[in-house]
Amino acid sequence: MSSIFRLLDIIDLQARAKLKAEASRLYLSYLWWVLEPMLYVLVFYIVFETLLNRGGPNFVFFLMCGKIPYLWLNKSIVNSGGALFENRGLIGRIDVPKIIFPYITLQEMLYKQWVGFLVLFATALYFDSSITLNWLWLIPVIVVNYLVLVVPSLIAALLVTWAQDFRILIQMGMLFLMFVSGIFWDINDIQNEFWRDFLLTANPLAFLIDSYRKILMYNQAPDLIHLAWLALAFAIMIVIMHRIYELLRYRLTRLVLEA
Amino acid sequence: MTALLEISSVGMEYKVRHGLFRTFHHTALSDISFTIEQGETLGVIGRNGSGKSTLLELLTGLIRPTSGTIRSPLGAVTRSLLTLGLGFRTDLSGEDNVIVSLVLQGYSRKSARQLVPKISEFAELGPFFYEPVRTYSAGMRARLGFATGTHSNVDLLLIDEVLGVGDIEFRDKAEATMIERMGSEQTVVFVTQAPQQAARLCNRVLWLEQGNIRELGDAKEVANNYQQASRPSTAAKEQSARR
Repeated sequence: MSSIFRLLDIIDLQARAKLKAEASRLYLSYLWWVLEPMLYVLVFYIVFETLLNRGGPNFVFFLMCGKIPYLWLNKSIVNSGGALFENRGLIGRIDVPKIIFPYITLQEMLYKQWVGFLVLFATALYFDSSITLNWLWLIPVIVVNYLVLVVPSLIAALLVTWAQDFRILIQMGMLFLMFVSGIFWDINDIQNEFWRDFLLTANPLAFLIDSYRKILMYNQAPDLIHLAWLALAFAIMIVIMHRIYELLRYRLTRLVLEA
Repeated sequence: MTALLEISSVGMEYKVRHGLFRTFHHTALSDISFTIEQGETLGVIGRNGSGKSTLLELLTGLIRPTSGTIRSPLGAVTRSLLTLGLGFRTDLSGEDNVIVSLVLQGYSRKSARQLVPKISEFAELGPFFYEPVRTYSAGMRARLGFATGTHSNVDLLLIDEVLGVGDIEFRDKAEATMIERMGSEQTVVFVTQAPQQAARLCNRVLWLEQGNIRELGDAKEVANNYQQASRPSTAAKEQSARR
């Protein structure tokens, strides 16, 4: 048990050290955490409100509800890909469970995401919604969102360690995901009921984005049964991934050291 | 003396993958047996490619042998490998690297932080200690690695040819620290290219040749034999004598 706490300690320690190191490389340092999501808002504003004059007054807000959770997922998966190679130094010195390395990346992304969420909530307050009790539903939605992104991140770290070629496929996949998750359009606009339900079921991100919008834009509760099923399914997958990492413990070391 | 690790009939074969279907096989170690006693300092010598680094990786528990077993009769053995080639995340500062390493090697976060000034002083990095490791020279990295390694809290410390780096002053300090640790309960396995150093620091020396044990025994004796065999003229004479 104490070893689990030690591993959690290491995950947190290294995630913070990485954030500190990244910040020290940039002139604007930690300010980028706020600037980056704000710049996305600005770009969307210019393109959709000023140039295209599209989608009504709070279209930018609508976009942010999709884009900010998507960016979290995207960065977590893409950055987890290189997690084992990045830590070649430690892997070559001490026999540690390899699964901690993608978790370090996930922890780093989680810290940054809080700022992203704050920008999202500020956008929500700017576009006339106010904080209601329904906002409490954000807590389970964010928790499930985290569970949902852990699984593909752990898989990405495995695949890229096995063959670097997967980096390219992962990037293609992320682009595809961006188009089928209802970031630029509302999933409820799909007329065909079968395809709408299919997308909401098959693509957890589409469901999560829709849930964020329900809470922040329309002051509604998300589909709680669907949310619970998602949590259960992804929790099981996480357990399975942990088993796989344990089985591949030595294989992964050799893959990293011989690459 | 009690055995910390028992190595029996250990062999290691590498399969290196090139592209999708081409592989290349290489036998790094074949059928090696010996024990590491608790508290001893065991030197490993041998020419390049004799399997020294593979042996260290196996003893560290990073990889598993393709044949044979490595047993620890006393239960789980914590271990850490000190090596020159790898070791640090170059984007993190020396300080952060040290803390992460120490926590991985069994310290609590708090006691790791308490050790930091001591390590910083030992490594003689000055203000560089707080800069990213990518700005370090090879000697500085080695010093940081050695400082962290010798302050670790593991049952078995494995050292891969790091004592030969740094300036003479640091080398002396490193040797003095090694001798101090040898006197304590610390079990050390260390690989070196310098037989005299092995003779000076170790209780026993293991001489590896082409993945086999050529000789294992008293440090001075084995180091001497190795030195004799390494001189090209002697080696040639030996060979002709065998014929």
